[in-house]
This record gives sequence, C-alpha cells and structure tokens, in this order.
Amino acid sequence: MSDTWLMRNLRAVNGRAYPRIIGSKREPSWLFFDIVLPLLTVAAYAYIYKFNNAQEQFIGYVVLGGAMTAFWLNILWSMASQLYWEKEIGNLQLYLMAPISRMSILAGMAVGGLFFTTLRATSTLVIGIVVFSVAFTLSNPLMILVIFVVTMIALYGMGMMFASLYLLFGREAYHMSNLMMEPVYFASGFYFPVKYLGFWAAAGASAIPITLGLDALRQLFFAAGSGDAFLPVETEAAILCVLSVVFVFLAKYSLDYMERLGKTSGRLTLRWQ
Amino acid sequence: MAVKSDLRTFKNAAWLGWQMEANWTDPFLFATYSIVKPLAGTLILVFMYLVIIETSGSGMEMADSPYFTYMFIGNAFYMYAAEVLFGVTWVIHDDREHYMTLKQVYIAPINFYAYVLGRAAIKIAITTVGVLITLVFGVLALGVGIDLGSVDWPFFIISLIVGLACICILGLALGGISFLTAKHGEGINEGIAGVFYVLSGVVFPITALPTWAQSVSKVLPVTYWMEALRRGLSPDAMDQLKASYPYDVTGLGGFDNVFLMLVLVVSSVIFFVLSLGIFRYADLIARRKGKIDWTSAY
Amino acid sequence: MQPAVETKDLTRVFNPKKKKEGKSVTALDSVDLRIEQGELFGLLGPNGAGKTTLLKILSTLLLPTSGKAYVAGFDVAKDFQEVRKRINMVSGGEVSGYGLLTVRENLWMFTQFYGIKSRVANERIDSLLEKFGMADKKNEKVRTLSTGMRQKMNVIRGFVTDPDILFLDEPTLGLDVNASRIIREYIVDWVKNGKNKTVLLTTHYMAEADQLCGRIAIIDNGKILVCDAPQKIKKLVKTSTTLSLDVSLMMDKSRIRAIRGVDKFTSFDDAEKDVTHLRFVLEGDAPVSDILSELTRSGSKIISLQKTEPTLEDVFIKMVGKGFE
Repeated sequence: MSDTWLMRNLRAVNGRAYPRIIGSKREPSWLFFDIVLPLLTVAAYAYIYKFNNAQEQFIGYVVLGGAMTAFWLNILWSMASQLYWEKEIGNLQLYLMAPISRMSILAGMAVGGLFFTTLRATSTLVIGIVVFSVAFTLSNPLMILVIFVVTMIALYGMGMMFASLYLLFGREAYHMSNLMMEPVYFASGFYFPVKYLGFWAAAGASAIPITLGLDALRQLFFAAGSGDAFLPVETEAAILCVLSVVFVFLAKYSLDYMERLGKTSGRLTLRWQ
Repeated sequence: MAVKSDLRTFKNAAWLGWQMEANWTDPFLFATYSIVKPLAGTLILVFMYLVIIETSGSGMEMADSPYFTYMFIGNAFYMYAAEVLFGVTWVIHDDREHYMTLKQVYIAPINFYAYVLGRAAIKIAITTVGVLITLVFGVLALGVGIDLGSVDWPFFIISLIVGLACICILGLALGGISFLTAKHGEGINEGIAGVFYVLSGVVFPITALPTWAQSVSKVLPVTYWMEALRRGLSPDAMDQLKASYPYDVTGLGGFDNVFLMLVLVVSSVIFFVLSLGIFRYADLIARRKGKIDWTSAY
Repeated sequence: MQPAVETKDLTRVFNPKKKKEGKSVTALDSVDLRIEQGELFGLLGPNGAGKTTLLKILSTLLLPTSGKAYVAGFDVAKDFQEVRKRINMVSGGEVSGYGLLTVRENLWMFTQFYGIKSRVANERIDSLLEKFGMADKKNEKVRTLSTGMRQKMNVIRGFVTDPDILFLDEPTLGLDVNASRIIREYIVDWVKNGKNKTVLLTTHYMAEADQLCGRIAIIDNGKILVCDAPQKIKKLVKTSTTLSLDVSLMMDKSRIRAIRGVDKFTSFDDAEKDVTHLRFVLEGDAPVSDILSELTRSGSKIISLQKTEPTLEDVFIKMVGKGFE
C-alpha cells in the first residue's frame, strides 16, 4: 500500500461520510424518529418482563439490547442496503468508477452514520436506565470499551460483506436485509440471554458478532449478568477479535467477487432489479 | 363512473403493490420470506416468556398460561398494525425518493387515496398469510389457547374489519406526514407502530403501564381492537386470564362485547376523520413547499 | 504514441437471468476501435445500438464477453484500478448526487474519491462553476436545481477531476441552447488546450457531432458501420451538392443550364419582385465557380446564395436505415 493509495482512500472515507453528517444536521427530523421512537420497542419488552415479575436484570438486558439495535439497523439499512438506493439514483456507478476501494465508500457511510447511531444507542440506554430504574455497573470500563470496539469492527465488516450482495442483486438483497431484522434479534439474544437458546443454537448465533458482543456487555454492565452468560467475557472477547479479522477479510473478498460477478453479468449498474 | 374509476385505480395499484412485494424473487424464496419473518418476531416473545418461566422456578408450562395466549394473539395481529402502517407510508416514501414516480401518479386524474389504499391492500393480504401462519404455529406447536369451536366468529370478523380500516387510514395520515419529512420518514411508521405496541395492550395488559399512560391507551382504537380480537378468537383464555388476577388485569374488564365494539367503532371513526384531515393538510403544505417530488437521500 | 482507447474484437452479450425473460442480446459485436490521444471522438447510433454498453466497458463498469479493451494502455478487465485513475464519465439525464448537499459540496465530495486535495478541488470547482455560468448556484442545494442546471453540474463533475480521458454520454441532453453551447465550447477548448486530453462523446445531435468531433463512428446493432472524419463520411452518401441562388431577373438561362457538372436545374421568375430563383443539383463543388462566373458575365446581380451538402443525418439514415427514434 502506498501513501497515495492510503490518502486517496482516507479522502474517500471523508468524502462519503460528509453527506451523512451534513444531512443529519440539515434534516433534524431524525432526532425525533431515531431517538424517541425506538424507545417504544424497548419499553414494550421491558413491560413484558415487569408485568411477569421477571428478575430485575432482564429489564436491563432489554434496555441494552434496544440500544444495540441501533448499530444493527445502521448496518442493515444505512450501509448494506444503502448501496441499493445508490444504484437506483445513479451514484453507485460513479463510486465504482472511482479509483478507490469499495470498503472506503462503505466505511465512509459507516463513519458518517456513526454519530447519530451512537447518539440513538446512547439515548436509548440513558433514557431506559432512568425510566426503568435499571442498575448498571461499570466495573471494568476498559474491557467494556474493548468489547464494544471489536464488536463494531466485526459487525461493520459483516455489514460490508452484506453490502457486496447489493452489487449483484437488487431487491432480493434488500428483502434479505429486511428478513434479517427479527431473526437476528431473536438468535443474537437482543432481548433475552442467548444461552437460553441452548448451547449449539447460541454457538451458531455467535457467528453474528453482536451476539457475543451483547453477551459480554451484559456480563460487564450487570452484576447478575454472569449468571445468564453464554461464555466468559475473555473468551467472547477473543472470539470477537477473530471475527473482526475474518469479517474484514471476507468483506474485501466478497466485495471484489461480487463486483466481478456484477460486471460479468451486467447487473452491476442495472437498476430496478 | 367515479366509483368505477376508483375501483380500477385500486385494482391497478394493488397489482403494482403485488409486483413490488413479490416479483423480486422466485415463489419459494418469497414464501420462505413470508413465513420466516413473522415467526422470528414471534419467537422473540416466546423465548422471553420461556426465560421468565424458567427463571421464576414456578414450574408452569407455557401452554397453561392464559397470559401466553393473550400475548401471542396480540403479537400476531399486531403485525397488521406494523406492516400496514409501514406499507401505506412506504408507498409515498418509496415512490417519491426511490423510484421518483410519485409526481406522475400524483398528477394523474385518479383518486390518490384509491391508489395508496390499493397498494396497502396487498400488504394486508400478505400480512394475513403471516398472521395465519403465526396463529397456526402457535396453536399446533406451542399450545396457544385458540379453539375453533369456541371462536365468536361474527364478533371477531367485524372487529378485524373495523380495525383494519382504521389502521389503513392512519397509515394514510402518516403517509401525508412523510411528504414533509426527509428519508427519516421511515421512522414515522416505526414510531407510531411502536406507540401502539406499548400503549395498546398488544403484548401486555395496559394495567402494567403508569396511570397516565393508561389514559392514553384508552384513547387509542388499537387498544379496543386488540381486546376485541382476543375476546372473539379465544374467549375461554380471556376468561381464564381475568379469573387469575384479583383486579381488572386488562383494564377493559368492565366493557361487555357490545360496548367494546361500540367504543372501537366510535374511536375508529374519530381517528378516521383526524387522519383524513392530517393527510389533506400535509398534502397542502407539501404542495406549497414543493415537496411532492423532492428527494432527500444522503 | 499509445492510443487513448483501443478495442479489439470487443463483444458483449447479455444473457437473461431466466429463459422466459427472452433471448440473449448481443450489445457489442466484434468492435474494433482506436481513438488517439488528444482526439475528440464521436459515437453515433440509435437507441440500443451499444453506445452505453461500450462506454460502460471502457469505464470499467462492465466486463466484455470476449475481446479486449484498453484505456490509456491498460486492460479494462485486469488493470481497472489504473484505468479509473485516468478517466471520468458523465451521462445525460443523470440524477446522481445528494439533494441535501449544495452544488459545491456535491462536487467536492466526488473529487475526494479521486484523491484531490480539498484546496485544489475547491479552486477547480469555483473556476468551473464560473466558466459554466453557475457561480451563483454554488451554495444552492442540488434538489432546488432545474434539470438543466443539474446536468451542468454533472458535466462539471466530469471535468473537475481533470481526467486524461473523459467519456460523455449525451452530455447536453436536456440543456437549453445557450447551456449546450457553453458546454460544447468548453469541451473543444479542453481537448485543444489540454495535454493529450481525449473525449469520447456519444450524442443524438448530429450537428453537435459534426461540429465538435474530429472523427465519428456510427454504431448500430453492436457493430461499427463506419469510422472516419465527418466530411469523409458524408461523401459516402452521395457526391451531389445543392446550390440555391436568388438573382436579379434573368431572361436567358440557356448558358447557365449548359454548364458542365450541372446535373439538374430548375428556375422560377418572380416578375413582381424582379427576382429569378435558380436551383442547381451539382456533381460536386467544381461547377459552383463556373456558375458564379457565368452569372457575373451575364450581368446578373446575386441577391442570395445557399449551398447544401449531404448531412450526417443523410449518412445516418442511409447506413442505419432509420432516423433517431
């Protein structure tokens, strides 16, 4: 990698992040929709636990899971499927013609969206803690940061891999994204500890980085978290590190492969598929 | 003549809606998609409840719990609220932002409401399949307390129709609002559906909410719709639920079926009028500000 | 000197996903093309001829089914990253960009994908906006622009990265006369004054191709039918020239009718206006001077003169068998 290649791709990340950041500023309607309204789903699940006199930490799990959905939804809708819309409005071919890595474009989307995704997640967390009087602990802030960072790297790498599908497919990929909302909420244990799915189901679900990320964060944020844990935090951190590398590598490979397939079949810039 | 024209618009819009929903893949994959998505959402609740039972140490079976039936039925029919609200709002957002065909449709000499509702009709049809699959799965695999012999069919069917009509028109209001918002308009339907999910007794009785929230619940037609659907579909389980709590657990125990239906109809009519007003006003503002054909993607 | 663009036996076939969706379509059929550096090259063809397919292959968005294509000496299939550093493309009717950003911001964003420093990018953007008469629009949001303005912005996007080779796919589509003129003038200047800058232009406007391009290729059904300078292409159709003259009333036309090279001759005397309308169909340009000499000798005053030559449209219709649909 030369400096020139690196600088060009860093500029590309910056360039693509810019519309996201400016768009958020110029169309502030997202403040309401992306902060206040997602709390409602969290509230619904929290009240289910509350009505049924479930153990207190489960409400905390719901609040944490609800906060983390912001990142999963960002992956699905603001990164992966965004390529579909870019194709429809004609930007995709301009990106693909530019002498930059596709990962730079996607990274730019991710970086640009990270601000309001983080804001959404944080507000869900904070408001959830306040409204439901959830007791969070911060016993190991460094480990929390490590878990969060490697989970995000692995997750966004996975997101880039999904995005590659959009280079070849059109609405099929879009509907696949749609399909991956609830099943992932279920399998990854967004709203209940994944260990209750059984070992093998939880192990399978661990291929999705957010499963282990959530599980580890629960153990770190809640005193009773280790009782509902699938694997120890350190093990989960190690697996997440491996997943980060794997998904970033897979993302590069699948983006190149799908682009090549798209160019061969002529579907790379084909609209309204 | 106008009715004939509107019906034709409705029919053509429904055809278009079907193409948009279904022709992206082969029938097998589409069927899989239509089954997996609703079931996955349901399984979240199922496992949440399993976790509650397991950690409570009560030894109770899920199928024995009338609350489980309450939650399951509510969640199944809530799909209509989520999908239809989404579907109606999405028509406007999709056509405007992505396919940029909204202005052509808008200026055509057709009834725009008929167009939007035609597109929504397909959503209702597809969602009905999802609801049916979920209910069948619940009854056969999970022991949900629905006995076809006990169903109050007239009550159930009328409630279903009234509620669906109310949801559709509410979707239209949200669609009107989406004229005025940027691409975040997708969040409108998610948010309003979320309001119903929390406040309308979909997966837990409204009595679990703070008192002020219960007051809001009692204004929403979906609250009465959910209650009516449950009483129609599973009257025995609802009686069992009432009997298992020393207080009016649903918050609507004092309403008999007739009164419940009356309240549902009246609240639906009020929302119908409000929604139509909101749509018209939003439409006017959108035309003033030139937002009928703007794009806001970033 | 290596050519800017070269294709050898380039073929592209599109196969449907499913059999019921129809047959395979051969969009390009053994296309051999060579465009030298510094050329302003035109590609004409009806809809569905293969122009956009060719451009997509050259801009690395599509792979050929067989054959080779080279841009700036690099294989578009294997060395696409090198190709991309040296090209840009603008399509007519583009709606790319983000409505929420201003004109300047949109253009700046695209420069970042080419690794251009912000200071340099902004200077170029300001200069181009000035040249294209859009300086007053630079802070306007893109979604407020008219179609024509948006297309101008797209054209600017093509030039702002200062590519070696620019592909312009109907760049003046939707633009008014003045805007089209500004763009054409800029294209010509850019090629003329730039160092080995090359433009491959597709257009439906015959006059545009005739005026701008040093060489033109006509493509139909994926095949190149002819590739040469416009003047030479026109000669393929016919060698006849039409000459129309209005002269002062002329009684004796026998000598002028007999001039060598006059294929057909008609006249009309308008006694009221004291004018004779003469119309000649000539074999080539040679008889023109003889006619003018004879008119001068006979004392006739030439009031107006119009010479009509075969047009590209004539060529097109003859070769393709139809006009632009």
